[in-house]
Amino acid sequence: MMSQTQNTQATVSDKDWEPKIVAFLCNWCSYAGADLAGVSRIQYPHNVRVIRVPCSGRVNPAFLLRALQNGADGVLVSGCHPGDCHYISGNLVARRKFALLKELLQYAGIEPQRVQFTWVSASEGGRFAAVVEKVVEDVRKLGPNDKLVKVL
Amino acid sequence: MTEKRIPHTDLRERGGVYAPARDEAGDVALTEAPPAESLVLEYKNFRLSPKAFFFPQTQTLLRFKGGKAEEPSPPDQETFLFGVRPCDARALLALDEVFLEGDQHDPYYARLREKTVVIVLACTRPMSSCFCASVGGGPSDGAGADVLAVGLEADLLVRAQTPRGEELLSSVADLLADATPDAVKEAEERIRAAEDQIAPVNVDNSAQRLRDGYDSPLWEAVSQKCLGCGTCSFLCPTCHCFDITDEARGDTVRRVRTWDCCAYPLFTLHASGHNPRRTPKERWRQRVMHKFRYAVENFDRLFCVGCGRCIRNCPASMDLRTALNEVGA
Amino acid sequence: MTPSHEIEARLREAAEELLRDKKVDLFLGYEKASLPFRTSPAFLTMPEEARRLAWNPFCTANLAVYLPRLFKAPADAREAKAASPPPAVGVVLKGCDIRSAVALIQERQVPREKLVIVGVACPGMADRRKAEKALGEREALGAGEDAEGNVRAVVEDGTEVILLREEIVAGACLECRSPTPSIHDVLIGTPVEARDPGAARRQTDEFESKTLGARWAHLQETLSKCIRCNACRQACPMCYCKECLLDQTLPRWVGTSTDISDVTIYHLVRAFHTAGRCTECGACARACPMGIDTRLLVRKVSQEVEDLYGYRPGEAIDAKPPLSAFAMDDSQDFLTEP
Repeated sequence: MMSQTQNTQATVSDKDWEPKIVAFLCNWCSYAGADLAGVSRIQYPHNVRVIRVPCSGRVNPAFLLRALQNGADGVLVSGCHPGDCHYISGNLVARRKFALLKELLQYAGIEPQRVQFTWVSASEGGRFAAVVEKVVEDVRKLGPNDKLVKVL
Repeated sequence: MTEKRIPHTDLRERGGVYAPARDEAGDVALTEAPPAESLVLEYKNFRLSPKAFFFPQTQTLLRFKGGKAEEPSPPDQETFLFGVRPCDARALLALDEVFLEGDQHDPYYARLREKTVVIVLACTRPMSSCFCASVGGGPSDGAGADVLAVGLEADLLVRAQTPRGEELLSSVADLLADATPDAVKEAEERIRAAEDQIAPVNVDNSAQRLRDGYDSPLWEAVSQKCLGCGTCSFLCPTCHCFDITDEARGDTVRRVRTWDCCAYPLFTLHASGHNPRRTPKERWRQRVMHKFRYAVENFDRLFCVGCGRCIRNCPASMDLRTALNEVGA
Repeated sequence: MTPSHEIEARLREAAEELLRDKKVDLFLGYEKASLPFRTSPAFLTMPEEARRLAWNPFCTANLAVYLPRLFKAPADAREAKAASPPPAVGVVLKGCDIRSAVALIQERQVPREKLVIVGVACPGMADRRKAEKALGEREALGAGEDAEGNVRAVVEDGTEVILLREEIVAGACLECRSPTPSIHDVLIGTPVEARDPGAARRQTDEFESKTLGARWAHLQETLSKCIRCNACRQACPMCYCKECLLDQTLPRWVGTSTDISDVTIYHLVRAFHTAGRCTECGACARACPMGIDTRLLVRKVSQEVEDLYGYRPGEAIDAKPPLSAFAMDDSQDFLTEP
């Protein structure tokens, strides 16, 4: 009785569904790497929506949860390799946050492949494409996300 | 009434039926359509007040989809609440003042109120935190109820309080028999025994005393422990403050109402950053004032029914009876 | 186990002395509440008030929660001019509470030099709800403690019911690993050993032995009772942000509704934000009006912080909080490699 809302779950037929991945890419390395993939005409799945952040350390776990709540099927966060952060240590602090977040979400029962983290440098266009391929495939196997999704 | 059998199996054809049964945690709560054998009639009161049936914690007011507004459909069926305590039913009259009377007519509240039938079960064993009798109510008060019931040794004594209550009782007339004088006497004795156990609280002249005691050092002393946790307001049967939020995604917007609490530090925070109730002292004082002075001044009614939930559940064990007994004394 | 009345007497002595000698302006302790099975935080300013202090199995509140507000920095220059200097505060803290206070000191919310920490070695506090449940529909009109630490409740018909301490000890206390305060200015009570240091790990191991789907289902079921009152957050000593992320409206990260999605995110964020800061005091679960065990998620996070970064909050005042620090060789097993 606490809640009086009419929530209807929208259903998409299996053959139409494409995973929707939100990717938080750090401006200096990963975003540049993604850009290089594009410029190099490397083909990779279109399922990724990129959000550029100054540093992977800027990523607040609440962003990932909000993305899932808004209907993302998966989330990717990518930053500079440790030691290469444009802000020296942003990714190092982020590394601890992400390690804990990944454990927490898995403990809570959310499929671990839905939330993935990686390091991609500005020169790693191919690697970026490979990461996206992997994440999209992992999420495709899991199916549409029904956890944390809020239907308005 | 001859039998303790609550006619909820028949009522289920008319709508939703809620009656007291144990939940998974083992607490007695208003449960939807419990099987007859799981009904519990020996309980003090529910953890949550039934106000959520009239004023839900989360309620969609409006939806915009693709540029068109959609109103949620009003409830089409009735809801029957059996086993509500007199204090919680009385609280509905306070909520009616806010949501129905005067300039405001809240259609969301009104629709639920119209469609919900309240069957009160009088109290025979009050708690040490109860003080209904001091705030205008009592263990067999029928205010706010459609039907008032008193549990006897073997029977249930019932009386209609409103035309809707009369209609309900006549619809189950085959289960009823006229009350015998003995039954009425037994009921009166049980109620009197309950009344004797309720410790009085000084609410006399509360509006005047609170006016005079606005600057009393009592407020600072008593409110220091307040954590601003919201438990008191959320469990209180008369508290009614709410927040309205528009939640948007794509071309869909949902306008939703949720409970709010004046004890929260952000409750009165202005956009400028100024907060007229900056510390727990101002907020806690306001809480007592609202219930025992402003409501009296505005509606000639106390906005407290003495259910004691705030006292029993406060994590800091605050007790507003202390303030009431001491202010302006 | 030191008898409660002895601890109570020593607490009163300590408070009276500190207030009389003006070593503190304010003394925070526990006093009897208006209902049994409860105590209420006492804010004392005069030495003669010391006799209000009580010590019994229901001294459950974590008084560290009141510390940040006593030392709040003035909001602006005008407030700074009018503000009185920060008070010297004496405070009664049990093993878990002291670790919260230490964490607050580390985060610069509370100055160590302004605190007189009166530590009490704690045998484990009673859970009011467990005690009430043991009485069924009978209500305790009064309660006392016997020599063995059991609670003796007097119910409505005058009979006395004995509630064995071991059966009503709070869940958080059953898992406690630090019953004896490590950092203190005064220590009262003979040091107590942790009763079952492996208890918390067994809880998380057991939960993790469930399948992913079963864990999610259990979490959703546990959280379905949440009414979004925020009591857990308000009772937590580590939640002192002027504006909580979960209250923020520009942008709104999570709604205020009881939709299970909003509820789950609220609890996930709180568990995450108390990573490396939570001292398992149980204040959150105690405050919850719906009786939800809010420690479910954060228990796991605390263990991960310990396993990955060798850190346990509140053990050393000068330790650097783990999420403000890093090491070049921090684990990155969680990363995706294409």
